[in-house]
This record gives sequence, C-alpha cells and structure tokens, in this order.
Amino acid sequence: MLRTSLLEIPTSIIISFLLGFVLLLSLGYDPVNIYKIIIFGSIGDPDYLLIRSTPLVLTGLAFSIPFLTGTFNIGGEGQFYIGALLSLLAAYTTKSSLMAIAVGTMAGGVLGALIAIIKVYRGINEVVSSIMLNWILYFSILFSITTFLYDPLIPYQSVPVPLDARLGCIQILGERVPLIFLIAVCVAFISYYILYYSRIGYCMRVSGLSPKSARYAGFSPELSVITSMVLGGAMGGLGGSLLVIGHTYTIDTTMSALYGMGFAGIGVGLLGRNNPIGIIFSSIFFSMLVIGGEMAELRAGIPTELADALIGIMVIALSMPYIYRIVYTYIRSRK
Amino acid sequence: MSFVELRDIVKVYPDGVVALRGVSMEISEGEIHGLLGENGAGKTTLMRILYGEIRPTRGEVFISGRKVSFRGPWDAIKNGISMVYQKFTLVPTFTVLENLYLPLALMEKGTSIDDVRKRAERLLDELNLRVPIDSFVEELPVGVQQRVEILRALLLKSKILILDEPTSVLTPIETKELFRMLKELKKAGITVIFITHKLKEVRELADRITVLRKGMKVGTVNAAEVTESDLARMMVGHEIAVVQRPSPSIGEKILEIRDLWVKDDRGIDAVKGVSLELYEGEILGIAGVQGNGQLELAEAIAGMRRIERGAIFLNGREITNLPARLRYRYGLAYIPDSRSVGLVAEMNLTENSVLTSLSEFIRKGRIKWSNAVRRTSEIVDRFNVVTPSLRVAVRYLSGGNQQRLLVGREITKEPRVLIIAEPTHGLDVAATDFIRKILLDFRDKGKAILLISTDLDEIFQLSDRIAVMYEGRIVGIGRNEEFSPEKIGLLMGGVHAQDISS
Repeated sequence: MLRTSLLEIPTSIIISFLLGFVLLLSLGYDPVNIYKIIIFGSIGDPDYLLIRSTPLVLTGLAFSIPFLTGTFNIGGEGQFYIGALLSLLAAYTTKSSLMAIAVGTMAGGVLGALIAIIKVYRGINEVVSSIMLNWILYFSILFSITTFLYDPLIPYQSVPVPLDARLGCIQILGERVPLIFLIAVCVAFISYYILYYSRIGYCMRVSGLSPKSARYAGFSPELSVITSMVLGGAMGGLGGSLLVIGHTYTIDTTMSALYGMGFAGIGVGLLGRNNPIGIIFSSIFFSMLVIGGEMAELRAGIPTELADALIGIMVIALSMPYIYRIVYTYIRSRK
Repeated sequence: MSFVELRDIVKVYPDGVVALRGVSMEISEGEIHGLLGENGAGKTTLMRILYGEIRPTRGEVFISGRKVSFRGPWDAIKNGISMVYQKFTLVPTFTVLENLYLPLALMEKGTSIDDVRKRAERLLDELNLRVPIDSFVEELPVGVQQRVEILRALLLKSKILILDEPTSVLTPIETKELFRMLKELKKAGITVIFITHKLKEVRELADRITVLRKGMKVGTVNAAEVTESDLARMMVGHEIAVVQRPSPSIGEKILEIRDLWVKDDRGIDAVKGVSLELYEGEILGIAGVQGNGQLELAEAIAGMRRIERGAIFLNGREITNLPARLRYRYGLAYIPDSRSVGLVAEMNLTENSVLTSLSEFIRKGRIKWSNAVRRTSEIVDRFNVVTPSLRVAVRYLSGGNQQRLLVGREITKEPRVLIIAEPTHGLDVAATDFIRKILLDFRDKGKAILLISTDLDEIFQLSDRIAVMYEGRIVGIGRNEEFSPEKIGLLMGGVHAQDISS
C-alpha cells in the first residue's frame, strides 16, 4: 500500500505538471514562472498557510470518516456552515472560545446524525439529502446574517467574535503556530486512534468494507453508518467553528470564506487516502496550491479560473489511481 | 437425426474449475426432456452453452443436423432457443405487455405494441392460458411472472424452451399449473428442456431424462421405464469410500432447536419447523440440495437471521433472541459458506483474526493489536496458512489459505458448538483433506459440530449422524450407517421416508 502510494504520487504530480504546462503554453503564459509562484509563493508565510489549512483538515475528516463506512458525506459543506454560524453566536453571547467550539461541533454532529438516520431508516440517499441541506443552510444563514446578525458598523459583515473568544498563535520553538491548527492536528490524531484502535472504529471499517461480514461478526452496519456520520458531521462543524474563531472572526454576507470548504474537503480526504494523518499533509498541500494560485493571479496576472484549473488538474491526477481502486473494491464488495 | 445434439462438450472455467468433462446428449423434437443432477453436476452450465451464453472449451452443438456456434443468447433466440432462469429477467415496473414488446421491438424492426398485444392474446387463446396483460409485473405472483417469461419466449418464436429449476420458486399449486402449461406446449410442438434435482417432478413431467454427475453424463432413460430409486442411484452414484473414523464418544446435549421457522431474504418461509438436537463429541451433517433452507437454518442459529417461531437452547440457556455477539461469547461459533462473509477481503490477516472475538482483544477501550498479532501467528502456524506476512490483505491469499485462516480463527476460540457451512467448497484436495481432518480432531476433543454441506462425500465422511433437509423441513435423520447413497438421494429429491420403505 505504502509502496504503491510512493510510486503513484510522483507519477501523478509529473503528469499534472505536464498537462498544466501544455495548458499554460497554449494560452500564452510562461509556465515555469507561474509554477514557481504557485509552489513557492505560499511558503513565505507559514502561519498563514497553517491557518488556511485548518478548516480543510476538518472537512477532509468530515468526508473520510463516513467514507470508511461506505457513506458519501457530501454534506460537509452544510455541517461547516452550521458550525460556523452557531459558533459565532455562542462566542458572541458567552465570550468563550471553548463554548463556541463545543456548540459548533455538536451542531455539525447533529446534522450528520440527521442525514444518517434518514438514510438508514428511510432509505434516503445521503448525497441527495446532504445537497438539499447544504443549500437550505446556505440561504438560511445568509438570511439570518443579513437580517439579524449584521454588524451595524460594517453592514456587509456579521457581528464579530469578541476578542476574548478569539484564538491566536502560540510560540513553539521560536515559531508562531496558530492554535486552531494545533487543535486540528490533535483532532486528526484522535480520529486516527478511534479508527484504528477502538471498537467503534473497527466496526465502522468492517461495515464499510463488507456489510455482510459486519452482520456476521455481530456488529450493526446501520449503527456504524450513524456513528460515522455523527463523527464526520462533528468534524465539519468543528471546521466551521475554528475558521470563525481563529481566522475570519466574522461571517461576510456573501459567505465567500465559507463557501466551498466542504467540497474541497472531499478532494483533501481522497488526496490524503482517507487516512487522518495523510489528511493533515494533503490539506497543507492543497492550501499551498490555493494560496499559490491566488499569488499567481496577483503577480502573473492569470485569471482565477485558470489558477483553479491548474489546482484541479493536480488534485484529479493525484486522486485518480486511488479513486479507481476504491470504486473497484466498492463495486466488488456490493455484488 | 436428432433435433438438438450436443457432442462431447467440455467446459473449463477460467479459474480452472472443470464443469463438464465431455458430455454428449440428444434431444428429440417435441419432447419434454428432464436434465437431472446434484449441485455442481453441470446441468446449468450445459444448458447455458446451448443457449449461447457461455462458450464450450471443446465440443460441438448441432441443431437439426446443422452445426451452430452462437455468439450470444441473441443468436440462440434467433435460432429458436430460449431459456428461463430461476431469477426472472422482466422489468418489474413495466406492464406485462411492455415486457413482451421490449425484446420484439429489438428483434423485429417495425413491430408495434398493438401487434404484440394481438399476437399475445392469440397465443394465450391457443394455449388456453390466462395472463393479465396490462398489469405491472411487480404486482404479479411469482408463478404468473414465470408464465410471462415463457410467453415472451414463445412470442420470440422459440422452438426449444430451457427451464432452469423452474419449480424452485413456486408453490405446489403454481407447480401444477406450470406442468399443465408445459404439457400444452408439448402438444403445440415445443421442445422443453427441464433442469431439476427433484425426482418426483422429473418423472411426472418428462418423456426422457438425462442424468449428469460431476460433469459427466450417467445416462439417458425413458421416464416411464425407471423408478425414483433408479434415478436417485444414478444421480448420487458410486458407493462412498468409508473413511475410518474413531467412533464418537457422545456427551451431553449442547444445542437444542425446537420447531424453528425462519424466512429467507425474499420473506418466504425457508425453514419450516425444524427440530434438532446436537450432542457434544458428534458431527451432525445436514445434507440437501442447495437452497432447501440449510443456510437460513445456520444463519438463524448464529443470530444473523430473525427467528419467526420456535426456540434455540445452547447448553440449556435460551439464545433464540440474543444478538450474535452474545451467542459467540456463550460458546457458539459459525463459519459461513462464503469466505467473503467470514473474512473481510480488504483487511489484513491480523485485523481479520479478531473479527468474531473483538472483545477479547480490548483492554481499557483500546484494541491491543500486539495480542492480535500473537493470536494470528498462532493460527497461521497451527493451521499452515501460507502467507507472505500477517500484514497482507486476505484477498491476496488463495482460497485454501483463506479457509484455513477462517476455520483456524473459529477453532482457536475453542467454542463448544461449531456451525460450519460448505467447509471445503472450491478447495483443492490437500486443503479439503486438511480441513476435514481438523473438524474430526475437533470432534474428538468432545466438541459438537453442525456440518452443512451439499457435498455428499463430505457428509458421509464426517458425520456421525445425518439429517436431510428438503424444502425447509428435516425429511430424514439417523446414524450415518443407516443411510445408503440411494436413500439419501431419494430424500434429497423430495421422496419422503415413508414412501421409501413402502
């Protein structure tokens, strides 16, 4: 497994570079310069890179933990929104970051549970219900921010997180490290422990790989699906929570800082091979590309869409062999 | 010149399984021809070759003296051959008429749905049949759905109709209806090939019967000239080599099943009032043709399937409604017939070795993988599992090694009762002997084994007592020596014990 990954990753990166080169050349840009900016542009400001990676670690987990039970959580987006909004409210009213984190995480977990329960007991496909919930939440939150929660001084933003409830950076070995990134890393390690060293993790993995074997062993695959969605949803909610209390401190009325984090988590999860530790690295890598893309727009003047396309090519190339393998085993196990 | 002739058909599947070892048979025009044999005799494979669905490795097919080589079922259909499977191929949300129209629209360009309606109604009149032509298929009973399948075949102008175990899904009344219909078809000049393992039915319906055994033809006989006993003897065959087994030392009663009723996945009664007792130190073999409720019985005992009625006692304690995990803790172990259920193919050996006894390996909420590794290497050593390491996914192991791991895992738990289904299915000779020896040793240690197998050699070699299941009931039970191959064949074919003695 490790050996195949080590072979796959460099091959995928080389292929994506070649494709990107052709694309840039054909549009009349200088590929070498642009790739230089994309790759090295983000490294100059490490704590910003880690802050940007934090929500992705969590939405990556929000996708990958349910995925291990064979559940496709595309609802990370909605769980992220609800986590962000309720954390903001909790922080605003209680002025406690701990409270904000707890409320945001729980809200995400409840949302995940809801999706799982209607899947298990009513047979409603999680992808359909998740996408519907994503949009319901998107517009509900937009509505509540523009109607009730806007900041009277800056009307295009929500009320801010009070200073007491904000999380900043701490010094580790002379380096500034964002607190929210440390929390995300700890959560990733805890997730790893749960998945590979606890009963519920083992049950979830067996249920995902072979529901019949799970029933034979006396586990309930349905319960595993629910557990995994509660955990995954909680991760999404925590992601939204950390973004608000550790980075943006507010939600803008276009929700541009929130939108797409849950979907990006799917790419991050697959890129990290659905392994919580792998997800830490894949989210840093992904953020590097995103920041680098933004830099390339500024410095080399390429359009946003082109920067997104370059990132997209790279993520697709890196995920392709893995997606192929899991789809293959998924189909085989359901036969 | 015969109507259909199969000459020297050999079929070797890509995985090396030899399904047919040179079978020749002839079918005359307008007869009902029974094709009889046990599981794995090659009946269905032979007919799928005639239907063009699979290609023979060697051998030739002649129709009306002309050599044919079908590229697929559509080729066979054009040549007037249709096959009706146990699982139907109708679109459940279409009406009967739409289902009839579907293949005709593809085969005959320009046919309208009204043409099909007229032709179908005329055909139903001729055959004196009733099919509600505008009903949705999913709302029809199984027997009527089957009639629709046959009707569709006739509309495609089939001259030869192959039916694969057609009565296995039918109630007795539906079966009677089907037989009446087939006799009508025969009058209309249609040739019917009828695959079955039920002795009574084949003798009642068929004109001639061909018996297959282990990929070879035993013979073709006229139905009127043979008894059910003759057929049973042909089907089961040779005297089974007696293996020297130390006589069992029977202990306490350990498992008791009282009047058990269980439904299958479709919600139909699969186990109908089974009562059994199992004693320490014995192997009780459950023989029977596949699909007669044996697997549902095993799953019900193991706690994987809901029990509708009846009770199960393990060592005096009622376990009827306990979850599987508790049953395992009280000393029951179950090895399912399918290795893809008993093992998780994508997980490694160590992860698989804790599947059914996870609690043993948990200390303070944490799985002690070091203990699991120790257990796994113990299983690997003791049961000669050949593997490059304990960390490879079990799907990379051969079937024999997977089975050794699976059996090893359950036996290492030292259960008091072991339920094992098809323990040597698909294994080579060495692995088969090894697994059988393990089971006998386990019995000699005073453990109780309930063995479910469709392989009669295995039943005779291992069992101290034998019970035969047919259509969800135990139709005969006794000591190994009380059963002759002929008697067991009759019981498996649905001839009741009282009929045999009379």
